Amino acid sequence: MSDPAWLSYSLQDFLMFGPEVFLRLFARINQDLWPWQLLVVPLSLIVPWMAGRPEIVWRRLALVIVAAAWILSGGGFLVNYFGEINWPAVWIGWAFTVQGGLLAALAVTRGCPRLSIGRTGWFAAFWLAAVVLLPWLTVVQSGEPTTLALFGLSPGVTVAASVLLVGGFGRATFWLLLPVPITWVLFSTATYWALQTQWLLLLPLATLASLVAGVWLSPRPVQSPGPQSAHHGPVRR
Amino acid sequence: MAKHLTRRQLLVGAGLSGLALHAPGLFAMHGNTQLPAPIRRAVPSTGERLPAIGMGTWITFNVGSDPYLIEQRTKVLKTFFDHGGSVVDCSPMYGSSADVLGRSLDALGARDQLFAATKIWTGDESATREQAESSRRKWGVERFDLLQVHNLLGWQGHLETLKAMKAAGEVRYLGITTSHGRRHGEFARIMETQPLDFVQLTYNVLDREAEARLLPLAQERGIAVIVNRPFQGGSLFRRFQSEPLPAWAGEAGVSTWAEFFLKFIVAHPAVTCAIPATSSVEHMQENMAAMYGELPDEQQRQRMVAYVRSL
Repeated sequence: MSDPAWLSYSLQDFLMFGPEVFLRLFARINQDLWPWQLLVVPLSLIVPWMAGRPEIVWRRLALVIVAAAWILSGGGFLVNYFGEINWPAVWIGWAFTVQGGLLAALAVTRGCPRLSIGRTGWFAAFWLAAVVLLPWLTVVQSGEPTTLALFGLSPGVTVAASVLLVGGFGRATFWLLLPVPITWVLFSTATYWALQTQWLLLLPLATLASLVAGVWLSPRPVQSPGPQSAHHGPVRR
Repeated sequence: MAKHLTRRQLLVGAGLSGLALHAPGLFAMHGNTQLPAPIRRAVPSTGERLPAIGMGTWITFNVGSDPYLIEQRTKVLKTFFDHGGSVVDCSPMYGSSADVLGRSLDALGARDQLFAATKIWTGDESATREQAESSRRKWGVERFDLLQVHNLLGWQGHLETLKAMKAAGEVRYLGITTSHGRRHGEFARIMETQPLDFVQLTYNVLDREAEARLLPLAQERGIAVIVNRPFQGGSLFRRFQSEPLPAWAGEAGVSTWAEFFLKFIVAHPAVTCAIPATSSVEHMQENMAAMYGELPDEQQRQRMVAYVRSL
């Protein structure tokens, strides 16, 4: 790595495809998976409602939807579509499926983390903004409505929305779930920068904002009770 | 008048008609009945004459399995062949480009017109034949005309195998490549010591480092030269396309910026062909126009350099 020749490479030198080809991937996956979008979109929209329910079964289902989105966007878009023109995307795609597996395991064992009381509205607002507004960035970039990048089908929107939940997990799980989204943010930023697709750069930015918002939305640690109230022995009056 | 045209004659005629519409000045001197002769350059090691404009595939042919884009690229390749092109260059490094090229060649049935050039790109110096065979299957050719060691990666081992393959008739020519002006010192040493048929390097009106050592060395050693990045990855157009061509461009046989950049390159006596890449039929027509008409002489080439520097 000390070879000075490496210093003469730019990001563009590693780019193997053009913006037209990349944006066409969204049109192709939409075309190939139609009409499953009619199921995927409503499912993505009801996640905030499920996550805000007190019953664990709904919070499990919410996390199952998110897990499935990671597996679909990783194994589908990244491995089968993007991987054809950019081999590193295949490895990231498999990392997405592993992340989806992890989230599925968490869904079974714990369910979706409880949201901070009083902030469920904010969570719904952030989530809906991510799954409703961010898909249009590819459309704005390409000028083609067929390139809509839906949650569950495209990795960028899937990551940006679902990292809202990561902050709600305990510290160990939080760090376990963080590497793949961060890798995706770095990889996609480099890709969009090299492609000079400026609108798409908003996706990794939104992901980072979503991650911060997720931490803010997570329940604050319960204040440590005083020694008197912690006493659970028999009370003498 | 009842003479029947072959498909090839019809395609070439149609292509050249388009070219004439695009650059009528090129054809004026030849009249309406005589087709212009494309500029060809001899491969020093055999004397085989190749068209001076070839086609690169970096980025442009990496479109995966997208049927729409494969059809578009097939049209680009058809335009290339229709205008007398032959040399097509690829690499295993270029993603799905070789697969797409193979599908386009299948669709056109044009392998008889093809000079097939690809590269060996692996650090495993024992995998030369395996990678060449994998590329051959993708292209659907009987054998490659030219195999090159990509960016000198594992060149010692690959070159030995390529020599053996050439001796056995498994490939016609062998060579090495570099790009972006990298590793010219090592590149020159290999040119001095190895029996190369071809070298591939970066050379254009702004990147002229090859003029100092590599191009004279190629002439001296009788090595054919393929020029990559003739448009500096497209940046020459981004920088200069909004500017007017010089008033004397017509005297140098130039009517578009594409011709300006390409004719500057192929007019160098050491250069065998340039391999611009494009995903557009219109741009391919412009590129191929540079293979016809007059070429700038050395004095005009110097004026070309001075002109772009002045912009």
